[in-house]
Amino acid sequence: MSSRDATIIGYLAVLAAGITLQVAAVRRPGRLPSLGRVLTHVMRTRTGRVGVFVAWSWLGLHFFAR
Amino acid sequence: MTDAAGQAAENPPVAQASTSRLSPGRAAVAGLRQPIVAILLLIALFTAVSGKPLDGFLMLAVATLLIFDAARARRQGTAEDDDDAAAGRVASAAAMASPAAPASRRARQRRLLARAGWLTAGALYCGVVGSFRRYSWPATAAVIALGCLMIAVGWQGPLRRRPALTGAALRRAWLWAVVLVSGGLLELSSLLQQPHLTTDSYAHPTISALTDPLLASSPGRSLVLGGWLVIGWLLVGR
Repeated sequence: MSSRDATIIGYLAVLAAGITLQVAAVRRPGRLPSLGRVLTHVMRTRTGRVGVFVAWSWLGLHFFAR
Repeated sequence: MTDAAGQAAENPPVAQASTSRLSPGRAAVAGLRQPIVAILLLIALFTAVSGKPLDGFLMLAVATLLIFDAARARRQGTAEDDDDAAAGRVASAAAMASPAAPASRRARQRRLLARAGWLTAGALYCGVVGSFRRYSWPATAAVIALGCLMIAVGWQGPLRRRPALTGAALRRAWLWAVVLVSGGLLELSSLLQQPHLTTDSYAHPTISALTDPLLASSPGRSLVLGGWLVIGWLLVGR
């Protein structure tokens, strides 16, 4: 297995972990928070809210902006 | 943990007399200690050194504003949550003062028209900005403009009061942090193993490098922009 394959597998593993966590949270909302609820919790304060929007903006900048 | 207890733990009450003697330097350090500010500063650093100084500058500017805002709140002796709690109470009071009109046909039509308008605007944005070459100045300006607008919207505070996580859900929120941090570390590791910070590596591709084939075409760029807008729309509603 090459380094490239290992890196791609790593990214896919992270994605799979996120999807698994989300599905588990939807099935057991009292025990596990979904990503939406975590973001809502973080975004209750100005710092958290601005921080999340900055992260969102950074995604756009990273892929499209000079 | 109850909501009130959780907020008290995050923002312990500070005696008015002691905060009035808090120096600007110490207040600024309090702002620097916020995890999100630290993360923004790190992103600014790595973004700047990887050949995108404009992105880094924007991250740095927002981090600086957050530090000033936290320092101001600390010197005034108000917890950050108090400001947003007040904003939430004002929003809730406004909603109570003008109770929602019965779901009439006209109100539903207005809502549908508004949603259609937003969808159209979003589709136009994706189509037009996606038609520009990647990393071109028009695409850069369009993304920066929308990003700054969203940050300004976010600065105003949440649209409505939302319940905090409590109990088992709060205790297990760290699982998401593990997932997100793992992804970030993997990306950072790929970036640092490139022959140069501004040169992609075939053996250690970053997410940006892996999406190059998709983003090489105008439809691909429009599609990804659409996904970005959908995420932004969902965040605004939080």
